[in-house]
Amino acid sequence: MAQIAFEQVSKSWGETEVLRPMDLSIANGECVAILGPSGCGKSTTLFLLAGLYAPTSGKVLFDGHVVNGVDARDRNVGIVFQSYALYPHMTVRANIGFPLRFQKVDKDDLSRRVVEAANLVQIDEFLDRKPAELSGGQQQRVALARALVKQPNILLLDEPLSNLDATLRMSMRAEIRAIQRRLGMTTLIVTHDQIEAMTMADRIICMSRGAVAQIGTPDELYRRPADTFVAGFIGSPPITLLEGDAKGETLHIGTGAMTLTASTAGRITLGLRPEDLRLGAPGQGGLPARVVTVEPLGREVLYGVETAIGRLHVLAMAGDAVPPAGEPAAVQIDAAHSLLFDAGGRRIPNLNIRP
Amino acid sequence: MAEQSSPDWMALARRGRRHRMIFLGTITVFLTLVSLPVVMPYLWLLTMSVTTLGSAAVMQVFWRAAGLVAVLYLALIVLPPLMPERFRTWVPAMAAAAAVILTTLFILPLTTLNNFRFLWNPDVMAAQQGRSSTIGELPSIWSAMGNSFALAGTQTALILITATPAAYALSRLAFRGRETLSRGILLLHAFPVMALTVAIFIQSYWMGLLNSILGVVLVLTTLELPFAILILKTFFDAVPWDIEMSAVTDGASRWQAFRLVVLPQVSGGLIAVGTFTFLRGWEEYVYVTTLLIDNSHMVMSLYLFWVSQDAMGADPNLIAATGVIYLLPVVALYVFAQKYLTQISFGGIKG
Repeated sequence: MAQIAFEQVSKSWGETEVLRPMDLSIANGECVAILGPSGCGKSTTLFLLAGLYAPTSGKVLFDGHVVNGVDARDRNVGIVFQSYALYPHMTVRANIGFPLRFQKVDKDDLSRRVVEAANLVQIDEFLDRKPAELSGGQQQRVALARALVKQPNILLLDEPLSNLDATLRMSMRAEIRAIQRRLGMTTLIVTHDQIEAMTMADRIICMSRGAVAQIGTPDELYRRPADTFVAGFIGSPPITLLEGDAKGETLHIGTGAMTLTASTAGRITLGLRPEDLRLGAPGQGGLPARVVTVEPLGREVLYGVETAIGRLHVLAMAGDAVPPAGEPAAVQIDAAHSLLFDAGGRRIPNLNIRP
Repeated sequence: MAEQSSPDWMALARRGRRHRMIFLGTITVFLTLVSLPVVMPYLWLLTMSVTTLGSAAVMQVFWRAAGLVAVLYLALIVLPPLMPERFRTWVPAMAAAAAVILTTLFILPLTTLNNFRFLWNPDVMAAQQGRSSTIGELPSIWSAMGNSFALAGTQTALILITATPAAYALSRLAFRGRETLSRGILLLHAFPVMALTVAIFIQSYWMGLLNSILGVVLVLTTLELPFAILILKTFFDAVPWDIEMSAVTDGASRWQAFRLVVLPQVSGGLIAVGTFTFLRGWEEYVYVTTLLIDNSHMVMSLYLFWVSQDAMGADPNLIAATGVIYLLPVVALYVFAQKYLTQISFGGIKG
C-alpha cells in the first residue's frame, strides 16, 4: 500500500522528449487510469513508476520517499504487461511462484500463496499447464496472479484488457476492479480505451503528446473537459466539435448562428455530445436539419444530420420516432451541456449556448 | 443462366487429381535423381569399409545394399503419401523388418570387420602382410579421437561462453556503435579466412602456440565467433523485452532474469550453435595441418590424411573404415540436435 507522487518527472530518449515534466499525486489505495492515444507517454509513466526506466529529471516518490535510485526489484511493484510476459518455459504454478523465489518464503508457504493467488483469479485448475496451452483470457489471469502473489504495494496494469475479446473484456473489467477494491492496493491502469478508464478508475489522468491534459474523476473529464483534446477523447460516440467566430453574444458557425450566455470574441469551438441532442419532426422547434446517415447500434441509433452550423451526430433510442434518411427534421440541443472552447482549445468555464 | 449447362464436376475433379499426381510425381523423381550422386559415395564408403578390395564380395555387397536402400526409400518416403491411410503405419514397419532380415541373410555373411583392426591394433600396417610402412608410427586412433573431441569440445565451450554475452549485448543493450559493430561482425564472417593462414601461423609461432591443440582451438574460436554471435543474436532478438522486464519487477536481478528467463528461451539456439561449432572443429583440416606440425598431436582429420598417404600404396578399405569411424560422432550429434538445427534462421523468422 503506497502513496505515489511525481515531482516534475520527465523522460527523454536522446533528443526526443517522450514525457514532459509532470506532477502527479495518487492516494493510497486509489485506482487511477492513465488514458491517452498510443505514443502519448502513458506506458513510459508506468515504467518510470516500476523503476524499469530512470527519469531524466524530477523525483518519483513512494510514501514521500524519493525512489529514483531504487532498483525495480526492490520497489515491490506488481506489473501486468500488455503481452502478459509469461515465462513460456515454466508452468502456470512456476510462473505465479516466480516472484516468491526472490523472497525468503519457505516451500509450504510458497505453494500455499501460489494456490491462493490462482484462486483469486480462478485459474487454480490450470496450475500445471504451460502458458501456451491457455487461452488469452486465462493467460491474462496468470499474469494478474503473478503480479498479486508477492502482495505488492502498487499494482500496474499496462493495457490489461486490450488482447481480450469484447465479452471477456467486460467481465475482466469488473473482476479486476473488484479484486483491487478487496485488496485495497494503489493501482494504475494504462489504457487507450476510454470506457475501460471510465469504468475501472476512481480518477483518470488523460495524457496527450507526453503531457498531462487533465486529471479528474470520470465525470469531470466527461462533463468539464479541460480542452478539445480531452473532450474529443472521452465519450463514445465522440463529441462533435464545430469551429466558429464569436461577436458579442452571437457565435457564427457555417451559415448558421447560435446565441451565447455571455459575450465574447474570436475563434470559438462549440462541442456538442450526440447524447445531448434530440431529433424530432420539423416544426417542433430547434435547429432545422436533414437526416443524412443512420447507424443502428442496437439499443441506440446514431444519426448524422446536416444543419446550418454543420454536420451533427445525434444519439437516439432505437424505438424513438425519428424521420427517415433524406427527410427534413429538427435538432433540439441540451444547451446546459454544451461546451465552448477558446482559440487555444481550452474550455471556457461558465459559458454555454442559449437554448 | 438456364441455358448454360452446369460444368462436369466429376471430370474436373479427375483432372485436379491428375494434376496433383503429376506435380508430386515430377518433384519426387527430380529430387530422387538429384540425391543419387549424394547418396552413392556414402554407400560406397560403407561397402568399402566392410569388404576387401579385389574380392568378389565388393560389388555384391554394394549392389545388394543399393537395392536395399532403394526399397527402403520407396517404402518409407515415396509410397506412404500415395497409400490409403490404413496401410501407412504397417507398410513402413514391414519394410524396416524386411530390411533387417535381408541384411542379415544376404549382406552380413559377405562382410568383414578386419578393416576396423586399427581400433584395437595401433600398428595398422604391420598386421597386413608384414608390410613396413611410414605410418607404422601412427598413434592409436583413440588418441586422435580424444584429441579431436578435446579440440571440438573446448572450441564449442569457448564459443558459447563468449558468443552468448556478446549476442545478448548486441541484441539488448543500447550503446554507441552497436549497428556498426553488428555490420562489422557480418563483414568478418564474409572474410575469406584462408587469406589469414600465413599470418596466423606466424602469430602462433611468436605466441608459442604452435603444435598445441590450444593454439588451434583459439584460432578456430576466433574465426567462428562472428557466425555464432550473429545466429545467437537472432535468437535473443526473438525474446521479448517484456518478459525480462517482468522478471526484474518480480524481484530478479539482471543476472537472474537472464539465467532463469532469457537463457531458457534461447536454449535451442545454444544447442544449434554448439552443434555447428563442434562439427566445425571436428572436421577442421586446414588449420590443424598448418599449426600441428608434427605427429604428436594427431586429430581425426590428420589421422585420415596419414592413413591415405602410405608410401607403400594406400589401403582403400582401411581409409573407408577410418572414414566411417570419423563420421559416426557427427551422425550421432545430428540425430540428437536435428530438432534444434531447423530453428536456425536469419532476420528473425524461424524456419
